[in-house]
Amino acid sequence: MEKEKIYTNSENYENRELSWLKFNGRVLNEARDKTIPLLERLKFIGITSSNLDEFFMVRVASLKDMVHAGYKKKDIAGMTAAEQLEAINTATRELVDAQYSTYNRSMLPLLKARDIEIIQAHEDLNEKQAAFADAYFEETVYPVLTPMALDASRPFPLIRNKTLNIAALIKRKGTDEKEIQFATVQVPSVLPRIVEIPSEKEGGRTFLLLEQIIERNISKLFLNFKVVCAFPYRIMRNADLPIDEDEAADLLKEIQKQLKKRQWGEVIRLEVEEGVNEKLLTILKKELNVKSEDVFNINGPIDLTFVMKLYDLADCDDLRYKKYQPQRVPQIEPGEDIFAAIQGGDILMHHPYQTFDPVVDFIRQASVDPDVLAIKQTLYRVSGNSPIISSLAQAAENGKQVTVLVELKARFDEEHNIVWAKKLEQAGCHVIYGLVGLKTHSKIALVVRREEDGIRRYVHLGTGNYNDSTAKLYTDCGIFTCSEAVGEDATAVFNMLSGYSEPLSWNCLSVAPIWLRKKFLKLIHREIKHAKEGREGKIIAKMNSLCDKDIIAALYEASAEGVQIDLIVRGICCLKVGIPGISENIRVRSIVGNFLEHSRIFYFYNDGRPELFMGSADWMPRNLDRRVEILFPVENEEIQKSVYHILEVELKDNVKAHILKENGEYEKVDKRGKALVNSQDQFCKEAKIKKPKDKGKYQERVFIPAEPM
Amino acid sequence: MKIFAAIYIGSYEVSLKIFELAARKPIREIDHVRARVESGRDSYQKGYIGYELLKELGNILSEYKKIMDGYRADAYTAYASGVFRDVKNELFVLDQLYIRTGIRIQVPSNSEHRFIGYKSVAFREEFDEMTKQGAAVVDIGGGNMQVTLFSEGKVVTTQHMVLGTIRLREQLAGIKNVVSHYEGQIEELVNKDLEVFKSLYLKDHKMKYIIFMGDYIMDLMKKVEKKSNKIVSSEKFIKAMRKLYKKNAEQITLELDLSNENDPLLILYIVLYTRIAEELNAEEIWAPGVNVSDGMAYDYAERHRIIRPMHNFDEDILSAAKELSKRYESFSPHIDALTKMSALVFDAMKKVHGMGKRERLLLQTAAILHDCGKYVSLAHGPECAYHIIMESEIIGLSHLEREIVACAVLYNTYPLEDYEELADKLDQESYMTVAKLSAILRVSNAMDRSHKQKFKNVKAAIRGKELVITIETVDNIILEKGLFSVKAEFFERVFGIKPVIREKRIYN
Repeated sequence: MEKEKIYTNSENYENRELSWLKFNGRVLNEARDKTIPLLERLKFIGITSSNLDEFFMVRVASLKDMVHAGYKKKDIAGMTAAEQLEAINTATRELVDAQYSTYNRSMLPLLKARDIEIIQAHEDLNEKQAAFADAYFEETVYPVLTPMALDASRPFPLIRNKTLNIAALIKRKGTDEKEIQFATVQVPSVLPRIVEIPSEKEGGRTFLLLEQIIERNISKLFLNFKVVCAFPYRIMRNADLPIDEDEAADLLKEIQKQLKKRQWGEVIRLEVEEGVNEKLLTILKKELNVKSEDVFNINGPIDLTFVMKLYDLADCDDLRYKKYQPQRVPQIEPGEDIFAAIQGGDILMHHPYQTFDPVVDFIRQASVDPDVLAIKQTLYRVSGNSPIISSLAQAAENGKQVTVLVELKARFDEEHNIVWAKKLEQAGCHVIYGLVGLKTHSKIALVVRREEDGIRRYVHLGTGNYNDSTAKLYTDCGIFTCSEAVGEDATAVFNMLSGYSEPLSWNCLSVAPIWLRKKFLKLIHREIKHAKEGREGKIIAKMNSLCDKDIIAALYEASAEGVQIDLIVRGICCLKVGIPGISENIRVRSIVGNFLEHSRIFYFYNDGRPELFMGSADWMPRNLDRRVEILFPVENEEIQKSVYHILEVELKDNVKAHILKENGEYEKVDKRGKALVNSQDQFCKEAKIKKPKDKGKYQERVFIPAEPM
Repeated sequence: MKIFAAIYIGSYEVSLKIFELAARKPIREIDHVRARVESGRDSYQKGYIGYELLKELGNILSEYKKIMDGYRADAYTAYASGVFRDVKNELFVLDQLYIRTGIRIQVPSNSEHRFIGYKSVAFREEFDEMTKQGAAVVDIGGGNMQVTLFSEGKVVTTQHMVLGTIRLREQLAGIKNVVSHYEGQIEELVNKDLEVFKSLYLKDHKMKYIIFMGDYIMDLMKKVEKKSNKIVSSEKFIKAMRKLYKKNAEQITLELDLSNENDPLLILYIVLYTRIAEELNAEEIWAPGVNVSDGMAYDYAERHRIIRPMHNFDEDILSAAKELSKRYESFSPHIDALTKMSALVFDAMKKVHGMGKRERLLLQTAAILHDCGKYVSLAHGPECAYHIIMESEIIGLSHLEREIVACAVLYNTYPLEDYEELADKLDQESYMTVAKLSAILRVSNAMDRSHKQKFKNVKAAIRGKELVITIETVDNIILEKGLFSVKAEFFERVFGIKPVIREKRIYN
């Protein structure tokens, strides 16, 4: 009993928000890595910035909600919501400082050395540039601006979430009136944030931020006034959608309604430029109802996500990694019958090292194949103009039974998803808008085909979304199979998602929220049992986040019993390593590289008969309890080897891996005296080697003359 | 290859199974969709199916129709369970469902329904081996339970008991709130019926196997024996079940790894399985994991000659009839002689009567059962026989077929009434079958009036307008000959052919 208490003692857990902030710190570290090309580093700054925005809108917002609601329950690490907010505040300030010091002190000078200049303030423009900026303002910017002044008859306007605005204090001209008025204008989001202006140097490139152009010309907006001062600012609102699904008869309509409401959410962060006018700040704070601790003074341009736009800068290929071309999957000949290929045996794909095309092709071929009876698929986050969507629509038009589960609740993609859902419905697909109370996070596609010798089911199971754009950036695994057992389970999954009763039993898939947690705990306990009996116990698990208390407690117990545990956790990790008697046998590493680590792989030694699983779920309560997730076993021996290889190489990675230390900090691996292993690079190289030999397909064609009989 | 869809509307669930049927291949289940609809609740409480339920059924069936079309199913069968038989507005509901969904739903009689369910088991390889050693097929549903006993590979009896899980739940609805564990009350209710059954039918037969059909049985079996080879020892099964008794539904669900948490029927199923296992006292328990939907697929495949039956179902009917006849102490050499004789006449008359194999089986069944009423009353034997047949279930016979057999027996003795009089029981075609069968039966019966089997080496053949029955006998057959002409009259009326006896006296 005593022991169990230690495993679940909150002292032995890390707070998930702080752990997440550490992850964002690791991303920022990439921006500081001198071995990385400049524009790549710049991109990482942009990523940290957009990550942080999302973090505030979702996580911080919900913590604030808890504080308002007087919610007293402590989190996994024993902190109340208020305590967490305080800690987050401190940590965020550190992170933002680091972000801007990297931007100001390394990025800008380095860019300038390459004759790429971002002019920080409009005051620094030369004459020619100033003229250009003014002309740009007149022609392009001015027509779309809507300045709004605040006075007795005009209340404070709605400031939209995440938009950049300029606040100004203005005074009526020619009068002695001391009265100073407040005005605000939104920096139009329809225009590019960075504007290229003439360069001083021949061949150089110079950019100016849109808000600087507006600031420079702001007096033109208030003609009868004198502008006392003007500063950009930005707010972040609570964006967690509270949807009462029991009440919402039609989820689609409800989400549309909530999206409109999102712009009215409580303000949880106010960013202002450093050195902002005190009076102006006071007005903003009062009107937006922001407390001092939620005000962030920014030493540089607010909202650094714009730097991602610079990434694609022309003629700077030497400042970027060479674009990686996803390689062909050896078993699948492009343009050939993909079903025949799958019949030849299960096929593993490792994206983005290998191309995502076969998955797109799978659906495309199914949509036109006369033998195909039905296509069923879950869609979570789809790319704009997704070829998969068009194929599904076409399949329905071709008279196939198409069932698509579109998860409307995918965060920040809601608007996007509604569009696709409607399009599919119009084409005649059976569209399911998710399940009440659950997010459908599983990635599964099923094609039912009536073949000569009977019905055959083809299944694709993956760890990543059916999104052909992110498949080029996220590392994910997927399997094609036509195994009978998987096919039956896949059919059962879709029956369940369509609202029918759950299947009586599963062959090989484990499905959250009902069965998955139990399955994982069972697997961990099996290792514990083996270790207790003096045999070897070993677990290797790769995932995005680890913060489920039951699972962590089980891992602690396993470690205490001598099970060796290696975890590859990219993001949040609430587990602490090196606690004497508890987690000395656990090692945690995080790989932050050029591609976003996204696959989930689980390895259990099982006393010499290893079992490998892949799936869509992280070890997080939300994945195990509130989402529909699928865990599938890797049974084919060859594929098992390949998947295990992925884990092996990532455990050897000493370039992009950070190791979690006992003090809770992450450090890069000590590389001295070791051969460098960059797992992502290595997978790229391996994928190129794996390319199939041409099977004489493109042999020279020879016409054979017929001979007289 | 054919794709077949089986829809079944049970008392608490509507299910759709899609099968792939191909020659020389086992029947393969491709899809199994289930939706929870408690038709039983309306039916047992109100006695009719209400509008809400009708709407719900309509919606689900339309969905199922789409799924069927998606698989391009070649054929389908839709059955509704006894729930529909029990309600007053059955025909209206069926009509509405057809109009709304385009699906024709049949409501088989209990014996037909059970026969279909039983078919799914009988097609399994293990089945014949098990029944040879004595087996009870126990099929538990929401409304009823059916127990069919086999001895030496043959049907002994099949009994329909009004003990279904949902029905029990409705009965116990009041008590449930009074006691925390109402397993005791369930047992009390169940025991009464089981004891009667046991004392009536289990005296002479030892059951080696229990073959269970019903929900949750597979999960329970898995609980008992992990290596689910689907057969476990009865002792082990009971022990494991008794352990489960002590737990509440939630704990049981967790332990069995069930998906459906908090199903109130679960405990009822466990109690029924346990009590039956205890009462039948078999050695082993087998759960083949099939249900009526599988039977529907087998039935279709058999009728369309896609598969060949593993088991002789006609034999089941004959042996069940014989068992019944024995029970009413009417089985005798006379019955045997009559059965043979009537078959002989039937075969000789083939071209004239135009009936087939099935009717021949009905004739034999009628012959076996024609005397069983005397057990109750010597004077009113035929009426009593009619009622005994109608109240006994003979597995494999449909309700109409049972009516035909019973009528054939009745009008073996009494003059056949006009069609109008019988129109509520029989359609015209069946009326004709009754007429023909009873005519044959009468003539055959007349040949052994004294019940002494005086005739040997009987032959029958049509000569012109006569059916000539040639017999060899050493005995005096004046009685038979005298009575024959009376019986022959009806025969002639039905077939237009006059039966005559040619005698070949043997002197030895």
